[in-house]
Amino acid sequence: MFVIVVGGGKVGYFLARELISAGHEVALMERDRARAAQITEEIGSITIPHDGCEGKYLGQAGANRADIVAAVTGDDEDNLVICQMAKHHFDVPRTIARVNNPKNEGLFKHLGVDEIVSPTRMILGSIEADIPVHELLHLAVLGGGELELVEAQLREGSPAIGQLAGSLQLPDGCSLFAIIRDERALSVRSDTELREGDKVIGIGRTECEDELHRILLGESEATD
Amino acid sequence: MPEASAPLFRRAVIALSGGTVDDAVVRLALEFARHAHSELVAVHVVELDWTQPLDADVAERSEEAQRVLDAAEAIAETLHGKLESVLVQARDVGAAIVDEAAAREADLLILGLPYRTRFGGEFAIGRAVPYALKNAPCAVWVVREKMGEESQ
Repeated sequence: MFVIVVGGGKVGYFLARELISAGHEVALMERDRARAAQITEEIGSITIPHDGCEGKYLGQAGANRADIVAAVTGDDEDNLVICQMAKHHFDVPRTIARVNNPKNEGLFKHLGVDEIVSPTRMILGSIEADIPVHELLHLAVLGGGELELVEAQLREGSPAIGQLAGSLQLPDGCSLFAIIRDERALSVRSDTELREGDKVIGIGRTECEDELHRILLGESEATD
Repeated sequence: MPEASAPLFRRAVIALSGGTVDDAVVRLALEFARHAHSELVAVHVVELDWTQPLDADVAERSEEAQRVLDAAEAIAETLHGKLESVLVQARDVGAAIVDEAAAREADLLILGLPYRTRFGGEFAIGRAVPYALKNAPCAVWVVREKMGEESQ
């Protein structure tokens, strides 16, 4: 398989190295010539010392025959441009983008990036597994990043306490399907009354997270 | 201290660029190989850009490359020497030559260096020779062609 990796930072470097070890053909684009030379020194002649955001150079890297383009620079805008160009100009079958700001995930999906990887969200998920930072715990990302499985623990003051599940005005595409109550799993029906201490499991579109949070737990304390 | 009877080299890889310096490189290598009873492997690298896979069939360039190797073999025949010729397709000439030398456990790599100058007159050493000098595990000889009259 021929993979073009754009971005020669730590992620790109180790990604390229692992892919080569696995027997794949890899071209790594890094616009910083000094860094590109350093990578060449360490891994071999796989680097193209140019900016992958420019179509001309992406073409020179062999995008016309690439199976995958992985944009892993530290800049979301660049990663989006690279994936879009690979997809729409060079017909690359699979594009993968690193998304640093989780708020950009929806945009990337909407604009046709095949797969997105968000280190921020992954780390956040790990932290939340132990310490509920948002009270809305991310359990899993499904559908290639479009859907999320979340858990909300209803604490004192949560607006959903005392309401019937069927009466909640959930955003379109979101649903609650299970409650963990007294260490027992219950399925959610429209007449299920939500109680303090319930852990409500739901699924919904990534961009509906804030709305779901507001309905189940109230307004977020921190926004950015 | 090496043994007095040890050959200077057992196996040498000669890098052929297809330029005028190839003739001198091959003759020099054959001369040394004759005395040392050494094996010689002549390598010519066809450099492919990333738009093509490494196993791409580049017929036109292969024919040209074959002519380079044939010329080396013809010199060997004339001088009653033996020479194995190899054609390699790679992304980078320097790395490919060094890899070939390493893979064949050569103890000597010989490269030709044409005398070229950049605009402004500065000597241009290219990329392959510095790469080989820096990375080849074996000894490296560089045969620089003589300066052209316009350069003197």
